[in-house]
Order: sequence, then C-alpha cells, then structure tokens
Amino acid sequence: MNNATTERVRATLKKRYLKEKIFRGFGITAIAASLGFLVLLLGSILIKGLPAFQATYLNVDIELTEDVLDISADASTEELRGANFSGAINQALRDRFPEVTKRKQRRQLSGLVSSGAEYALADYLAENRDQFGNTVNLWLLADDEVDALIKRNKDLTQPIKRGKNKNNESALITRLSEDQLGWLQSFKDAGDTNVRFSSTFFTNGDSREPEQAGIRAALIGSAYTLLITFVLSFPIAVAAAIYLEEFAPQNRWTDLVEVNINNLAAVPSIVFGLLGLAIFINYLAMPRSAPVVGGIVLSLMTLPTIIISSRAALKAVPPSIREAARGLGASPVQVVTHHVLPLAMPGILTGTIIGLAQALGETAPLLMIGMVAFIVDIPQSVTDPSTVLPVQVFLWADAPERAFTERTSGAILVLLAFLVVMNLTAVLLRKKFERRW
Amino acid sequence: MTVINLLIVTAVLTLLYFLFGRQRAYSVAKGNGGIRGMHSLPTHYGALVALWCVVPALFIIVAWKLLEPSVVDSLLSSSIPAEIRAQGDMAVSLYRNEINNAVDSARISSLSDPAKQATATRLAGLQKYASYGLFALTLCVATLLGFLAIGRISPTLEARHRVEATVQGFLLACASIAILTTIGIVLSVLFESIRFFNQVSFVEFVTGLKWSPQTAIRSDQVGSTGSFGAIPLFAGTMLISLIAMLVAVPFGLMSAIYLAEYASSSARAVIKPLLEMLAGIPTVVYGFFAALTVAPWIKGIGESIGLSVASESALAAGLVMGIMIIPFVSSLSDDVITAVPQSMRDGSFGLGATHSETIRKVVIPAALPGIVGGVLLAASRAIGETMIVVMAAGLAAKLTANPLEAVTTVTVQIVTLLTGDQEFDSAKTLAAFALGLMLFVSTLVLNVIALYVVRRYREQYD
Amino acid sequence: MSDAAKEAFDALKETVGRVTVDDPKMQAQNVDVFYGDKQAIYDVTLDVAKNEVVAMIGPSGCGKSTFLRCLNRMNDTIPSCKVTGDITLEGESLYSKDMDPVLLRARVGMVFQKPNPFAKSIYDNVAYGPKIHGLANNRAELDDIVESSLQRAGLFDEVKDRLTAPGTSLSGGQQQRLCIARTIAVSPEVILMDEPCSALDPIATARIEELIDELRENYAIAIVTHSMQQAARVSQRTAYFHLGKLVEVGETKRIFTNPSHELTENYITGRFG
Repeated sequence: MNNATTERVRATLKKRYLKEKIFRGFGITAIAASLGFLVLLLGSILIKGLPAFQATYLNVDIELTEDVLDISADASTEELRGANFSGAINQALRDRFPEVTKRKQRRQLSGLVSSGAEYALADYLAENRDQFGNTVNLWLLADDEVDALIKRNKDLTQPIKRGKNKNNESALITRLSEDQLGWLQSFKDAGDTNVRFSSTFFTNGDSREPEQAGIRAALIGSAYTLLITFVLSFPIAVAAAIYLEEFAPQNRWTDLVEVNINNLAAVPSIVFGLLGLAIFINYLAMPRSAPVVGGIVLSLMTLPTIIISSRAALKAVPPSIREAARGLGASPVQVVTHHVLPLAMPGILTGTIIGLAQALGETAPLLMIGMVAFIVDIPQSVTDPSTVLPVQVFLWADAPERAFTERTSGAILVLLAFLVVMNLTAVLLRKKFERRW
Repeated sequence: MTVINLLIVTAVLTLLYFLFGRQRAYSVAKGNGGIRGMHSLPTHYGALVALWCVVPALFIIVAWKLLEPSVVDSLLSSSIPAEIRAQGDMAVSLYRNEINNAVDSARISSLSDPAKQATATRLAGLQKYASYGLFALTLCVATLLGFLAIGRISPTLEARHRVEATVQGFLLACASIAILTTIGIVLSVLFESIRFFNQVSFVEFVTGLKWSPQTAIRSDQVGSTGSFGAIPLFAGTMLISLIAMLVAVPFGLMSAIYLAEYASSSARAVIKPLLEMLAGIPTVVYGFFAALTVAPWIKGIGESIGLSVASESALAAGLVMGIMIIPFVSSLSDDVITAVPQSMRDGSFGLGATHSETIRKVVIPAALPGIVGGVLLAASRAIGETMIVVMAAGLAAKLTANPLEAVTTVTVQIVTLLTGDQEFDSAKTLAAFALGLMLFVSTLVLNVIALYVVRRYREQYD
Repeated sequence: MSDAAKEAFDALKETVGRVTVDDPKMQAQNVDVFYGDKQAIYDVTLDVAKNEVVAMIGPSGCGKSTFLRCLNRMNDTIPSCKVTGDITLEGESLYSKDMDPVLLRARVGMVFQKPNPFAKSIYDNVAYGPKIHGLANNRAELDDIVESSLQRAGLFDEVKDRLTAPGTSLSGGQQQRLCIARTIAVSPEVILMDEPCSALDPIATARIEELIDELRENYAIAIVTHSMQQAARVSQRTAYFHLGKLVEVGETKRIFTNPSHELTENYITGRFG
C-alpha cells in the first residue's frame, strides 16, 4: 500500500513542479509589469518634461536708437517702458533679411521671436541705459514652434507634414511656413541659435504663449493652500487622535466617530469638492478660487489620514509610560501632554507629511471650488484667486498648443520632486526616531 | 476690520488675561499660605481666565459669521427694485450677484444703474456696520468675562479640573469633526439633489437612457429642456471601473502573493516601496499619461489591426486607472495574506503540498474574505476616481459595452457641470449634486461592506 | 543547572544507551543543525523503528522539535536553517538531490503543536492531501479515503453528519484528530507529532494518546512531548535531549525507572524542566 502511494505521488511530481514554476512566473510577471508601468510613466514624463527647463534663443543685433525706439535719450524710466521695443526687434530682423519685403512675410519673420522678447529687451535697456543709441547684440527668446524644432535638433530642410506629405514619416510637424524655416536655417548656419537653461519656467505665471508660461503662480498657490491645510488639519487631527486613543469612553458616540473616520478616508475626493462648493462658497459666501477654501476642503479630506496614523503613533507608546506618570500623580491631561505626545510626535509628523503630500497632489476637489482659473499674477494672500500645481498641470494638459505638452510634463516633474522630498522626509523622520520598546 | 484682525486682537487679549490671571493667583496665594494653599497651580488659574476670555469670543465670531449672510440678505431685499423681484428668483439672484461683486471689488461707482448703486452702497454700509458690531460685541464680552473670571480666583476654585475638562471637551469636539464632515457632505448633496428632483423626476433620472444636460437660459430657445437620464453615466462608470479592476486585481494580487510568499526580505524591502510609489503619484499625472501616451497608443494598435478606436476610449482610461489601483490592491492583499497564520502553511507543507498548492488551496481561501474586502475598497476608489477620466474619457454620454468607444462617467459629468460659469439654481448644476449623491451613496455602501468584511477577517486571526 | 550537572553536560561526548534498532524505518546520523551562526543540534544519531513510538523529551529549547522537523525537511521553509549529517528513510538519504521534498513529506507526515485545520470543510481538510497528490481516481475513492481516515482517527462518528461544516467549527481535541486524519489520508509511512496535545484538555489528550497507540500498528511514529507522563504512556523508546544534544536513549520503561545519565535523572526526577 505504501509503495503504491509513493509511485502515485511520484507520477504527479513533474506536472506539479511545472505548475509551481508557472505560478511563480505569474508573480514575477505581475511585479515586473507593475514596475514596468512605473518606469514607462516616469520615463515618458521625464523625456517630455526635461526640455521645459530649457528655451531656445536667437541672436540678433538690435539698434537701440532714438528713431527706432521712438523716445529721446533723456527719457524717464516711465517713458522708457513705453518705448517701441517690438519695433526695434522687428527692425533688427528685417535688417538681417533685407530681401523680406511683403507684409505677410514680414509678419512671419517677426513671428520667429517670442512676443515676450520685447519685455526682456525693455528690462535690458532699463539696466543698461548707457547702451542707448548703440547697436547691441542680444539673445532673444524664440517662439514656441521655433523652440520645438531647434531643441529637438530637427533637419529644417525636410518637407513639412501637411497635405501630400501626411504619411511621410520623416517630414516635419510644425506650424511654421517654408519661408520661416529658411530664415531659421540661416540663423542656425550662422550659429545664432542657442538652447540653454531658462528660469522663465520658474519665475513666470501662466501665459497663453507656451514659451512664456511658468509655474510660479501655481507654486505660490500650492504653498498657501498647503499652509492652510497644515494649520487646520494638524492640530485638529492630533486632538482627535488623542481623544480617541487616550480619553474616549467605550460608547456609541465613540463608535460612530471611528466608523465615520474610516469611511471618510475612502470617500471620493470629488465629494469633498461638492461639500466645499455647497457649504463654504454658496452658503458661507467665501471667495471662489481662493487658497483658503482649497485649504479647508483639503484639510477635511486629509484629516482621516492624519488621525489614523497619529492614533497608530500614540498606540505605539507603551502603557508602562502612562502608568509611571500616573503613579507620580499626573492628571490624565498631563500624562498626555508631558509624556505620551512628545514620544508619539515623530510618528504623528510622519503621518502628517504623508497626508500633506496627498493633499499637494490632489486636483478634483479644487476644480469644484473654482481653483481652475487662468492665473497670471502671483497671488498675494490666501484669499486671492489662485491655482495650484496639479490644477496647472490639468489646465496645460488641455491646451491645444503642442509646446504645452512639454510645459505640462515639466510642471509634473516639479510636482513629483516636491512629493519625493516630502515622502523622503517622512521616511527619514521615521528612521531617525524609530524606537523599539 | 477683517475677521483675521479680530482674531489677532482676541489672541492678544487672551494672552494678557492669562498673564493677569496667573499674577492674580500668585497674589491670592500669598495671603493663603503660598501656592500649596491653593487648589491648583497659578498656570491653571491663568489658563482658566484665558479660556473664559477666548471661548465665548470665538463662539460669538463663528455664530455671527454663520448668521450674517442671511441677515444681510434679508435686510437688503427691501432695497431691491420691485420690478426685479417681479421677474422671479433667478433675476433677483443675478441682481444680488452683480451687487455683491461690485461691493467685494470696491467698485460701486462702476455700476451703471443708479438704483443698483444705491443698493450697493446700502450693502457696503450694512457690511461695515456688521463688522464694527461684531468687533465691539466680541471684545466687550471677552473683556467682561475675563475680568469676572479674575475676580473669582480663590484657593478653593478647582481651576485645574475645569481647564482639563475644557481641554477634553475640545478634544472631543475635534474628534467629532469627522461626524460633522459626514453630515456636511450628506446635507450639501442631499439638499441640492432634492431641489433637482423637484425639477426632474427621480425615476427619469435613474432609468432614463438619454443624458444631455445642456439647458438653454431662456425657455424659448432650442433645447430648452435637457434630458437627465443617468443610465449611460452609470454604465460608463461601470465599464471603466470594470476594466480598471480587470487590470488591478490580477496584477495587484499576484504581486502581493509573490511579495508575501516568495520574495526574500531584501527583495521585499526594495520592491514594496517602489510599488507604493505608484500609489503616491497624483492622479492628474495618470490622467496626462492616459490622454497623451496610452490613448494614442491604443488607437494606433487598434487601427493597425483594422479596429475603429475612439481617441478617448474607455480602454485607455480604464487601463491607466487599473495601474493606479495596483498598489492599493497589492498592499491590502499583502496585509491579509501575511495575517494568515504560519501554522496553516506548515500544515499544508507537512502533507507534501508544493508552495503554489499551499498558496492556491490553503492561503488564498483562508485570506479570501480579506481580499474581497480589499477589492471592494479598490472598486469604490475606481468609481470615485475623477482626474483620469476627466482627462482621458469622453464627454458624450453613450450607452455601450465596447471598451474601444468613448464613454463618460459620473465624475466626469460632475466636473463638467460645475466648472466654468454657472448659475447655481439651474437643473444643470443641481444635476451635478444629484450625481454626487449617487456617487457618495454607492461608494459609502461599498466602503461599509468592505470595512466590515475586513474587520471581521482581522478578528478571526487576532 | 547545578555546577555538577553543567560539568556532566560539558563532559557529554556520546549519547548514553543504544541509539540504533534492528529494523529501522528512519536513521539519523551525526546530525547538526544551524540557524544562521547559531547551532541548535549537536551531532545527534537516532533511529526510528517500524511499528513503534519513539518519544523525544527534554526541557524547552533543547532542540527536540528542531530535530523532529528535520525528519521531513520542514526546516526547508526557514531560509537560514542548515542541516548537516545524514538522515535516511528506508535507506534513501533525505537531503540528497534525488530525494524530492514533496514526495518525502507525503511519506513522512506531520502533526503540529497547535491544531491547524485549513479554512475549509471537514471533508475538504481530509481530502486535501489525496487531492494534491492524485491518490484517488474518482469521487467514490476519495469518499472512501476520507471516511476511513476519519474512522482511523476516531472522529468519523462525531462528524459524519456535518462533513461540510468548516474544520474550525470543531473543538480543539476534534481539530487535532482532524489533523491526524488529514495526515493519515495520504497513507504515510512515518508520522511525526510535535507536542500534539499541548493545546488540549486532559480528556482530549487521553483520546489522542489512545489513538497514537492504535496507529502504532501501521506506522512508525516519532513524538515530541513536554510531558514525561505522556512519553511514559505512549512510547516504547524514549530519547532525552538537553541543549541540542541527545543525552540518553533507551526503552521507555528503563529510562523512567533507571536512567543512566545524571542529566536524565535530574530531568525525570523534576530537578529542572
């Protein structure tokens, strides 16, 4: 009988080990695929987004003379601002290509340079008044279509992908005309194009022109919103966690609170947006698009997360510490404030940072309360209309200009960098203060 | 005289009263055999006095700010011209909005109509009086109560008990904010939904097959009544969530199994945080990825094999949403799998089972309730996910089960209906709240069931 | 441990008593076991005979469970565990390449300290082993195996009306007999029992002990127990372990009435344990 068993088992072994291998293979595949998605996602955004930190500049000789600028040499700073800088730039381009005479062509020629270049020129002259009357050699910010071609080092002599060239793989995808490509080629041949790091992306607010659009306004908006979120959610969450962990009696109210907290942690974020819209904006008439409302909504949303992790941190403090303090005659409140809370603080802070990182990446509820606005000016206070970084990403992702893709990815990279820093801080905090009882 | 200023002044007053109270306690103590002769420490007396100052003040500010809008509104209605009031609620609310905006931006003079200017001036005046009134009332009450509290300091006053009871009351109040939030959510979606169902029948909403919420402003325009049949939205939500779950459950579960059962602890230490990174990426990033990378890619593949694929296909949105949910499923499953007692695995190994047999036939059946709970939580997350579908799914409500076509979802419609210019009372905006109610109720049901299942499971092995 | 006992332990080079039997089912020779750098078993040589119960006793942490788990390679599931020396089953080496751990465990079954029924029905718990090993050709054969295994474990009459109830719904003693039935269902040649009664009440314990005596007719049995009375009641041979060393082996009767080694004597007279 026993030998029969042995034989029967032996007969099944090959198949069973094959199954074992296949099953293991599934597991490895699942993990590899998940990590593959991560790499693909980050990789595609990194490739698309890195160029956002650079811009293309064209080298032009500009006459800063009285007749071109249409102001006198002793003009006040105010008057200087009103000078005809765009005229000066156009003149410089025409001087470079004297063969361009037709009106339409001239307009196209001016289109090579960004409309923001005149402000850069104005700033230059304001700082270098002694250059007035001279011809100066300057690098001007190029238009986004030019930028796209030069950055990717495209062959400008290729046919353009339009009409009959639609299926030609190597054809250029651009909105520039053939004339414009020709001029650009001559800039390139002369070595008068340059791609370099540009701080515009970090110093400007939003703009309709991709090459001038930046994330400054959104960053400040995010900072204000996050500040409000922290100020509201941290004390409330810690207080709630202390109550539930240290003082709450076993009754139905406590049960109700616990069930509510667990449920709120799983309520879709957009529902918090509806709450914000109905109660804070429509009922309490708080300002739309303001970081203060965004902060309130996000703190309601992150409260459960922070409460849950704070409770875990409080629970990790051994009861012996509480007993020792109570044995010395400390009141329950003193036990908590003097002994338990300081020991639990690193854990609570870790949870708070993770909750805030979540809030920083949140978009949907902020759309509901109108933080989805075109914000050029940097918000000055928590009640000014503003937007936040993820919403800026959403807005740019929707924009039709191709160059905004690069801006969007760039903004995502900045957002992810902040998230990485926050999460790393949380991890380090936990590592540094981790205690084993 | 903004509220911020008032709060700052109140805070300073509170601090002063704390110092006065403590000082007073010291001097009272001198006449009563020192601090030991007092019931509590001087700090406690100071804190008690400060509480008497700050708590009523905050109460007054909050109550005032809650009541002010409706009181000002009703006072103002008398100065709204009769002919506007005759045109109905919509006209009145438009009128009010214009006045409010003018006053808020301090540009009363920019209003063309003298009647409007008069109303606006009156509103500005009312607001000014209101803020002075609040300021005066708050500070008077705070000062008076603080003063009275100082007078009551005596050796028998049980200051510490009272301060600690107040602290505990504050803690309880903070904990109860969770309940308030839930109530706030329910009220905000419920009230607007009821108003919506007064205009559109509930039955039509939950059984209608046509969704086109674009209502014209005036009744004589074309398409003046929208259709609010939400079935296509529910179907679209289900379709995309289903695709997401089809991606997330197998990948998440298998990853969890591998990590919990096969991976060495060092591999686990590397892989687990990497997987969790997927969960930490903001959803707007996934949306961008879905719309810009995955959707064109699926369209390209589909077209190369002769299928017609919409550029905002349900498949693209569902696929990317699935990727987003993988770490959610895997970390919840990982928890329940590791909670299965080792003795059960030993029992299976002891009988000669291979590792995969043990997992498939012993560990997974034992962990099943917990895994199901985790999957339900993940499903609730898929249903409520907004940004991915807003960016990568369509806007047109279409009733189809074909994942290659564009469908729309409940959350997409909520965002579309509520972003941009809107009047608050139209059926179109109210519909968003009715959808919000549906979303809240369905995710709540899923969450409650899931949390219950998971809790029962945990208790079983504790 | 007294100084004298410590000296006796340090002086111990070789197991006292006869470690081999005439008709061995399993033979362990010079077995050392390490957990990482820590050695848990020192040079143990011991036979398990057919149709006999060998009991392993000793103070907790003496390595008796570790040794038992080597006999069907259960230690494989612990990555840091390393076994040297040789263990054979019917002359085949357990730790050689040709020996398949799955097949080995089908031949050498194990019953654990805490009853560990699977989260399945009573029927499926017993049918699990035959199913994974493909021991039944059809449903009827499987039914027969389940019924006879439950009968031999003395559980059938108690559960025959509720075979579909979950295994966890049984009492502790019933659960342990279920686990024994589960082990028998695979028709092993050897059954290892790791303190099978430590989680049970005295009545359930008595029931299991009776069962062990009945099972001896068909199987070679090795049992680890922390109870000397149990060892005396169920076993024919007894092995005394101390801090990873096998101190003394012999007929149960002799060990408990006339131990040769000082440490064994100390243990059974209750001077430490």
